[in-house]
Amino acid sequence: MKLNFKKITVILISLCCLSGWTQSIHSHSVDSSANVKPLSVKAFDETSWSDLLKKTPRPMAYLFTTSYCSTCPEAFAILNNAVKSSGKKINIAAVMMDVTGAQAQRHAIHFEGVTQLYAFDGFEPAIRQSVDPKWPNVTPYIVLIDKNGSVQKIIGQPSPSMIKRWLI
Amino acid sequence: MKHFIALTLVACSMSTAIAQQNEVSAKKNGHEMHNARPQLATGAAFAPDGRLWIVGLNESLQLFVQSSNGEKLDEWAPPQILNTTGDAISADGENRPKIAFGPNGWVVISYTQPLAKPYTGFIRMLRSVDGGRTFSTPFTVHQDQQEITHRFESIAFDNKGALHTLWVDKRDQPPRNSGKTYVGAAIYRNVSVDGGATFGPDLKVADHSCECCRIALAPDADGNLQAMWRHVFGEQTRDHAFANFMVNKANEITRSSFDEWQINACPHHGPGLAINNIGKHVGYHAVWFGVRKLKNQSITSAWYAQLNLNGSPTPESVIALPDERAEHADVMAQGKNVAIVWRSSEGMKTTLKTWLSRDGGKRFEIKNIAEAKGYNDHPRLVQSNQKMAVVWRLPEGTQVYEIKF
Repeated sequence: MKLNFKKITVILISLCCLSGWTQSIHSHSVDSSANVKPLSVKAFDETSWSDLLKKTPRPMAYLFTTSYCSTCPEAFAILNNAVKSSGKKINIAAVMMDVTGAQAQRHAIHFEGVTQLYAFDGFEPAIRQSVDPKWPNVTPYIVLIDKNGSVQKIIGQPSPSMIKRWLI
Repeated sequence: MKHFIALTLVACSMSTAIAQQNEVSAKKNGHEMHNARPQLATGAAFAPDGRLWIVGLNESLQLFVQSSNGEKLDEWAPPQILNTTGDAISADGENRPKIAFGPNGWVVISYTQPLAKPYTGFIRMLRSVDGGRTFSTPFTVHQDQQEITHRFESIAFDNKGALHTLWVDKRDQPPRNSGKTYVGAAIYRNVSVDGGATFGPDLKVADHSCECCRIALAPDADGNLQAMWRHVFGEQTRDHAFANFMVNKANEITRSSFDEWQINACPHHGPGLAINNIGKHVGYHAVWFGVRKLKNQSITSAWYAQLNLNGSPTPESVIALPDERAEHADVMAQGKNVAIVWRSSEGMKTTLKTWLSRDGGKRFEIKNIAEAKGYNDHPRLVQSNQKMAVVWRLPEGTQVYEIKF
């Protein structure tokens, strides 16, 4: 009888561990919808932008976006296609302004080719104003930094001339 | 036997902990995210008995309703948690749960349920037939069941007790790679004449709306509802449209703003609309956000204008709100009294402001009525006959300020 209890105990423990393991696997599979390892989501607060401007590689593009912004993927595609055409290795970061964590990662499927993923961590107007005090809550908001550190900003899609200046 | 149960429980706890730990460490590695912002977007309305009701999500993301105690607007009865059968619920920015009161003890609550695919959602509703004491479980309002955009709904009862629901809808988008294009989204609607028990067919109001802004509704002098929303005119001009949708055919719309804002972007900033009835019904008061050129300068602002009965703006009435940081303005009116509210954020500080007119919108007086540090919802105006109030939700609670002219 004791032996039976032991057997049952081992089986149940195994089942529970398996359940935990599958939960773990599931949580990862949810985040990797395109069979690509999801980018980690870095926090972006009121102090982030000034730090990033000092340390960012050049050239670089930042696309500020939201989970409801259906005009943003098209703007991202313009940037990404320009990078592909240039043949250069240039970073493009997406900054989610309204969702974090797994939700932010899910929205990154619209930005195939994005190299870094950030999410606002704090009060949105305060963070937005730390990037640009005059920027109303309209997305996409794009910042293009060229190899010399010159900065171009636009709400909406960048024009061909902006792209040309960015990739000099 | 005791050991067996204890061991099993310990093992199960450990396995769950392992799974949770994986989740936590994935989020707390270096600079990774750990703070989701609070979901504060809240709907509000006066009940026929004069009590103020609010609907929103609590800290556990459960849908709740709460009413004021009698006519004291700043004292709240305990919240009632509603059964939403596990729906995810949008309650952020311009996408908030809403509540509306009709005849016969009918009360309805609506929200957008975001689906797994980004930018998609269903409009869901709960109904009460006993004045809000009990509510049904949620049901989908529209007939179209595709996993596409059905979002940013607005609800209101007309003077005959019919419930109108309008929403942003993307069923008219052509298939990918079809070579066809469709600018923006569409506004659809339906009607329920039995307080949300059944609904008529989905009807188109207009093609080419903006995709992610709230829709404003206001009654005319007869209690028929009018709608105003951000619309894409031509390829990229994001101005506003107005429709007497209970009468007009699809796409019979009036242009109600002429900012000529050429942009392919999401302002996420819908308009506000109120009847202008100064003894007789002369039109509407409207507020919106936009960028327009004045003397060759682009002015980014929230704007106010009076619209005529058809929804066209009276050009000389168009003025910028006196605050370059004004966001998400709302408007209501009673006779010659007009109230406009908005929030204005500078860094972590947000100021709640009112702009009041006692002469039908000719002259306004600005007043700061409250401040908050950090997270806060957009302010909402609510009205019951002569009484008007601003509802403003903060993480620590919902503030209500009665407006005195």
